[in-house]
Amino acid sequence: MNRRDLLKMVAAATGGVVIGGEFFLAGCTNPEAKIGIGVDFTESDIAFLDEVAETIFPKTATPGAKDAKVGQFMTVMVKDCYDEKDQKAFRAGMTSLDEACKAKHGHSFMKASPEHRKELLVALDKERGEYQKTKKSEDPNHYFQYFKQLTIMGFFTSKEGREGATNYKPVPGKYDGDVDYKKGDKVLTGLN
Amino acid sequence: MAENTFDAIVVGSGISGGWAAKELCDKGLKVLLLERGRDVVHLKDYPTATKEPWEFAHRGTMPPAVLKENPVVARCYAFGESTEHFFVKDTEHPYIQEKPFDWIRGYQVGGKSLLWARQVQRWSKFDFDAPRRDGYATPWPIGYDDMAKWYSHVEKFAGISGNKDGLENLPDGEFLPPWDMNVLEKHIVAQLKTHYPDRPAVIGRCAHLTQPADIHLQQGRGQCQARSLCERGCPFGGYFSSNASTIPWAQKSGNLTLKTDSVVHSIIYDDKQKKATGVKVVDAKTKQTTEYSARIIFVNAACLNTNLILLNSKSDRFPNGLGNDNGLLGKFICFHNYRGSMSATYEGFNEFVTYGRRPTMIIMPSFRNVRKQEMPFKRGYLVAFTANRNQGTGYDGIGAELKDSQTQPGSWSVFMMMQGETIPKETNHVRLSTDKKDAWGIPQLITSVDYDENDELVLKDFLEQGKEMLEKAGCKNIYVNDSKQAPGLDIHEMGGVRMGKDPKTSMLNKWNQFHNCPNVFVTDGACMTSTGTQNPSLTFMAITARAANYAADEFKKRNL
Repeated sequence: MNRRDLLKMVAAATGGVVIGGEFFLAGCTNPEAKIGIGVDFTESDIAFLDEVAETIFPKTATPGAKDAKVGQFMTVMVKDCYDEKDQKAFRAGMTSLDEACKAKHGHSFMKASPEHRKELLVALDKERGEYQKTKKSEDPNHYFQYFKQLTIMGFFTSKEGREGATNYKPVPGKYDGDVDYKKGDKVLTGLN
Repeated sequence: MAENTFDAIVVGSGISGGWAAKELCDKGLKVLLLERGRDVVHLKDYPTATKEPWEFAHRGTMPPAVLKENPVVARCYAFGESTEHFFVKDTEHPYIQEKPFDWIRGYQVGGKSLLWARQVQRWSKFDFDAPRRDGYATPWPIGYDDMAKWYSHVEKFAGISGNKDGLENLPDGEFLPPWDMNVLEKHIVAQLKTHYPDRPAVIGRCAHLTQPADIHLQQGRGQCQARSLCERGCPFGGYFSSNASTIPWAQKSGNLTLKTDSVVHSIIYDDKQKKATGVKVVDAKTKQTTEYSARIIFVNAACLNTNLILLNSKSDRFPNGLGNDNGLLGKFICFHNYRGSMSATYEGFNEFVTYGRRPTMIIMPSFRNVRKQEMPFKRGYLVAFTANRNQGTGYDGIGAELKDSQTQPGSWSVFMMMQGETIPKETNHVRLSTDKKDAWGIPQLITSVDYDENDELVLKDFLEQGKEMLEKAGCKNIYVNDSKQAPGLDIHEMGGVRMGKDPKTSMLNKWNQFHNCPNVFVTDGACMTSTGTQNPSLTFMAITARAANYAADEFKKRNL
């Protein structure tokens, strides 16, 4: 999959510019943007991100984000593909999310029940949506945007996600421009 | 024959060099094919051809560290984790941009024929006649009638998918079955037919084996599987590349010697014999030089490298570069205007999706200045568009509902782009640096190429017309864009060694021989007198096959 298609998919899905998109799509247009190497994630960080991702994309009849190891994926992308500004915001976002959970439910995200986790992220996502609508382009993104975008991207480019939740065909064999579709049919992932 | 002596030398193994080698070998000549990069053997050397997205460290996206180190090549749409090994590293191949120019290169056997977009259209009689008719560049010394049978020749061997549309300004070719339009594209095309009957839109023609013919099976190639991962090299040989097609064929003849890691420094011109006698090669790894001799030389190093080699080929007879009596070598560099594009949405056709990944779009041949000069700008632009369903019906929410909505097809998106002809000008040129050299002791190239007022008017017309056409077709939310990209990113640079009737104003005659050095031929993009609006590679292939057959006949008659 080439970058532009990936970006198209994520941008269309997330309704906006992909964070780090200037790196993902074009050549680095800002030579001053610092490419950070100074962000590290611990095992417990990854476990935390797995749970966040799993709440966003839970296991149902099809695999969930944890099956697809999205937490691990997030750390690789943040470490290798985010600039310093976004790396700092991502790390701060992890803390903000946990603090928001404590404020809402009285305990940390990892100690929260699945229902409480979902309740929290629904609220954060709503906040994110409203903020993104009204923010100026030079303002930073809402921190929850990172987690949601990376979950979607990580899930659909993973083996479990792509093979489990879509009608993925590595070798389609042909192109058909006129396929009947009814709601609920699994479809071929992007790149049409 | 002496070890370093051949009947013919071909410089460069890309899309046109592969053809020169194949045609010359088919005619029985002993051919030395020189490639500056490493070997890439079909099937064996496609490391990413069947890799899944999760097998790439960053799922295909390039880490910014790599992009920062390779700012030019990073701008290329095809550059990513799955294809980076087929692109040069910018730092290893410096050049000097007097004006911004993105020079995209792939230095390996097959060159950019591994990476190309595979879209092909024949030039029409109007395109060959345009410089004469509208008074720009210089008249072509050949016309469509000279080229028709050679287009057929290369189309049959390469395998071209297309529909016979019967359009005067887009001649039909030797076609394998066409790809399908999808339901929305059919609707848009039908709407366009009603509102713009003089602007037919047809399924794209492309170098893919929708139904391999016997000649393709003989090449060991099979049917295109609609994976659209072409730039990685195709395990099915489903698209045309030198690697899958012309080079193995030439090797089968027993007449081909392929030498890789061979950087051509210059063409050797013998002042006493009054002809070129061979080439000087610098070994890419050891930097040792070797000279090879031949009676015929084809320079197919790709437009700018061909210009570079020729400018660097100095002798008493030609102190300013081979054949450069008129001082025009390296001048009249031109390219395609890719600056305009637009996207739109469409409401409807929700009961339909597509299956498979089609490797071509819908094309609308240029509809400006076709039969006469009538716009405030010269020439025109090809339009290409495609419609796809996005993934995901919505982005709101969290949890099972979000996951489900993300695995459903979303709304339809339409994407439209332009391919504008540019007018060759003497001021757009390349020349050699007088002080900077590359790692092989060869002068670095200075590029001095820019857009002009005509390009801005062409762009403006496309943005207006494209938007209006999509509106009439029922599309909404049309967002037009000027990418402001530098010339070169089109990867269709041409010119510098242009064909023409008059040795005072051109470098090559109608057989692609230098007017004043007839045993040297140039048939890659450098030979182009004008750019047309068509994707150029098919024309490069046809020009090459025609010139190579002529050269072989002249060789046999001992005229060369």
